[in-house]
Amino acid sequence: MNEPGSTSMVWARGLRKEYGQQAGLVRAVDGVDLDVAPGETLAVMGPSGCGKSTLLHLLGGLDRPSGGELHLAGRRIDQMSERGLARLRREAIGFVFQAFHLMDELTAVENVELPALLAGRSPKASRRRAADLLDQVDLADRAKFLPSALSGGQRQRVAIARALSNDPLVVLADEPTGNLDSEATLEVLRLFDSLHAAGQTLVIVTHDSRIAATADRLISMRDGAFIDETRLTGGSTGQLGALAGLEG
Amino acid sequence: MQQEVVLALLAKEPSHGYELRARLRQALGPLGDTMNDGQVYVTLARLEKAGLVVSEQAAGVAERPDRKVYGLTAAGQQRVAGWLTEVSWPKPDLAEFHLKLIAAAAAKLADPLAIVDAQRRELLRRLRDAQRAAMAEPDRSAAGLLLEGIVLRLQADLRWLEACERTWTKRKDES
Amino acid sequence: MGRVLLVCRLVGRDLRRRKAEALLLLLVITAATTTLTMGLVWHGATTGQSYERTRAVTAGPDVVVNNVSAGGLVPGLKALARAPGVIGHSGPYPVASAVLRAGGYAAGVTAEGRDAAPVAVDQPKVTQGSWVRPGGAVVERSFADALGIRVGDPVTLNGRLFRVAGLAVTAASPAYPETGYLTHNPALGNDPGLIWLTQADAQSLATSSQPLSYTLNLKLADPAGANAFVNADNRFNDGATSWQEIRDQDAKVVANQRLVLLIGSWLLGLLAVASVTALAGGRMADQSRRVGQLKAVGGTPGLVAAVLMAEYLFLALLAAAAGLVTGSQVAPLLTRASFFAGLAGTPGAPPLTMSTAGLVLAVALAVAVVASLVPAIRAARTSTVRALAASARPPRRTGSLIAVSARLPVPLLLGLRLAARRPRRGALTAASITITVTTIVAVLIYQTSKAQRLPGASAALDAPRADPVGRVMLVVTVALVVLAAINALFITWATVLDARRPSALSRALGATPRQVSAGLSAAQVLPALPGAIIGIPAGIGLYVAVSNGGVVTIPPVWQMLAVVLGTLFVVAGLTAIPARVGARRPVAEILQSETA
Repeated sequence: MNEPGSTSMVWARGLRKEYGQQAGLVRAVDGVDLDVAPGETLAVMGPSGCGKSTLLHLLGGLDRPSGGELHLAGRRIDQMSERGLARLRREAIGFVFQAFHLMDELTAVENVELPALLAGRSPKASRRRAADLLDQVDLADRAKFLPSALSGGQRQRVAIARALSNDPLVVLADEPTGNLDSEATLEVLRLFDSLHAAGQTLVIVTHDSRIAATADRLISMRDGAFIDETRLTGGSTGQLGALAGLEG
Repeated sequence: MQQEVVLALLAKEPSHGYELRARLRQALGPLGDTMNDGQVYVTLARLEKAGLVVSEQAAGVAERPDRKVYGLTAAGQQRVAGWLTEVSWPKPDLAEFHLKLIAAAAAKLADPLAIVDAQRRELLRRLRDAQRAAMAEPDRSAAGLLLEGIVLRLQADLRWLEACERTWTKRKDES
Repeated sequence: MGRVLLVCRLVGRDLRRRKAEALLLLLVITAATTTLTMGLVWHGATTGQSYERTRAVTAGPDVVVNNVSAGGLVPGLKALARAPGVIGHSGPYPVASAVLRAGGYAAGVTAEGRDAAPVAVDQPKVTQGSWVRPGGAVVERSFADALGIRVGDPVTLNGRLFRVAGLAVTAASPAYPETGYLTHNPALGNDPGLIWLTQADAQSLATSSQPLSYTLNLKLADPAGANAFVNADNRFNDGATSWQEIRDQDAKVVANQRLVLLIGSWLLGLLAVASVTALAGGRMADQSRRVGQLKAVGGTPGLVAAVLMAEYLFLALLAAAAGLVTGSQVAPLLTRASFFAGLAGTPGAPPLTMSTAGLVLAVALAVAVVASLVPAIRAARTSTVRALAASARPPRRTGSLIAVSARLPVPLLLGLRLAARRPRRGALTAASITITVTTIVAVLIYQTSKAQRLPGASAALDAPRADPVGRVMLVVTVALVVLAAINALFITWATVLDARRPSALSRALGATPRQVSAGLSAAQVLPALPGAIIGIPAGIGLYVAVSNGGVVTIPPVWQMLAVVLGTLFVVAGLTAIPARVGARRPVAEILQSETA
């Protein structure tokens, strides 16, 4: 893993992010190596404060690393200018936040079309794409609703639709179900599942094991570093009966 | 198969053996596939011996348990009524795993953290399967609800395992 | 008593915490009160006293007859000197019209020929140097100040060299630049000056195109009846002027200055209202937690509103006091140079009357109340629960603007949407820009109208025009522009803070920092545009209303366009720095600290 794989969607080596100086130095991300294949769903789990959100911000170009290399779809991004990063976020990255971060004064469809408008697409094309995406996430009937009129799960689905607006290469999700109840979590889970089935590369940071369980690969993180990696392959429902209390 | 469950399924009206089985499978959804068919009849036989259930053989049909018609006795109905009002809950049994870790650490037989990690991996896999099955169910199906319960339990167990990992890591660092 | 103390304590704490804002508000209201004080305090009575003194010292005439051509009317003049009611006279004196060059300037002057010996009526008082002698010119003092002429300087009249023998003041003519009131000679330009020469020198300056005219000073038995005397005698109606008219011409300048000051104080007052509203409204909505605390401990809506408004009322009080003191001290300073040089003795600081103080105080309090009442009531009426939850003001949604903005390039898209979130702030920006542009346009019109040359005036005359009214206008305009600029900076900063989350979000979704900072600037410029455009007809309207039928020349279109574009440019420039700072903060930091 010393060279970015030709087929890696996200590739990082020795990624670091530090705050403060000397005695007060905080290593939020401490030498992380990462290799995400296209179409893969990767989950990063860890206790709060372990640096997983910081890692995601680095991957998405929202923050600059203090050291290390970072490549996205073959392009090196850790040294990019702010403008280049902005363009990158427009074209290649979709972000989903824990707090949804929808604009309160825009309707659902206006929120979803925003990245396309910022990328310079025509208003009509942006609106059409936004309507399509809302349809995909099953919210076509709420297109004209304001976020305040939507439930938490619906808001996050709008946010996911927004993240898909510019057909991103990778979707980065930061605790996507952190503010949701279990039913809303299920909605989002279904959505991630369908995205995975459609071949979307996903990197999800979470401390919810249900979300993590949908991933192909699960990485545990603590104190800024990766400590464990698990490949999740399924058994069969045969074992489930026992879990439910049914004797064999 | 718990005896009271079978009794309760007969509470509405007497039914054939195969009808009972069908109802069970429907309620359990995919988990019903793991059910041992014969288990129901063993339970029915025990219940009959205990006097809570009576069976009738339809005339002119082969002597087979699935063709028998089972019904509740008065004692059986009382048992069902009592069961419905009980509030006991299935026991968790964390003690076994907990003691496993302590024993491994004390005797230096294995690294407790490795045990925890392995268990976590296994539970995650099961969680994934249960979740898959749950999502495949239509909305608000009875079986889906059961699967949701399994998922949430696993999630709770996983949380405890994370806590175990934190504590045992600290213990390791201190020692 | 306890409640009053509580209110005082809260006010003190708030003001200390937000010193810069409090200072700005104080500054803005003080500008208005100062100007108002100056306007109220400064009126004709002050100049009247000066004129009386000059009249006494120079034995000023009761009637001046001038502009009389040579020929048959000269005997008429001599007869007038013996008319009933006339108890004394001096003259007729020859008066030449000439072009004076001094200090690099060319100015038209009326040169009165006088005797070296003093006379009983109208003997101008020499304040520096000496009286007329051959080859020596005595220059009227305010004219000399305006051109920077001193005793002993060489001057040329129609090309001939003279020396300045002395400076003098007179009551027979209004002070420069109003000397033209008596002379009516267009060839001398808008503002001719007054000098005295020996009679021989004056006569030698006559040319065929500018022949001599004659002037006569009369003293009446009944000085108070000078106006009646002037109106009765039809022969010299055009050329006879009473001393009251001369005094009033001086006073007119003061009256115009006063008018400018009063109007200026109105405009500054409106600007103050806009500034206070912009700052107060936003702050009070954010003070909701304070409101909740007060209510939770039993405060009535009235007490809550009082606490919220107390801050602004206190600042208004301070501003009123500061304005009264500053205004009364500054008023004479403003007009000391040039104008009152013509009158013997400069007036001191005029006394403050109770009514003036009361009016200024009332205006200051009115500004504070108007600006803070509605937000205070609104804040006081919110339910306690909601206030304690301290949710920030939700932005407004204007569907049509959002739809329109989708068709615009990205910076304008962001800017329009940001502006549409807070329509009231946009309206206040527009209002303060309107006020500024109105003032500039009115000043432009004034300058353009003033620059209209009288037909027949020589184009070579370019003496600096002492323009006391214009000077006051300039000071008021500068104050207004500076305050409007500070206001714009503050509003921009408030916008940047308010727009932190949408800006960070836009950047997370792919807008470059440059686009975002351009958007933040655009959010200020977009409301400024209609404000600036409205300012043009408003400025014209204001000038027309105030000039009361006087000459109004509309400046050329390109100048007005330049004002609008210049204003927008300045707004964009002022807002660029806070916008840039606001657009560069790390995105992740902002998004993590903000809740959904």
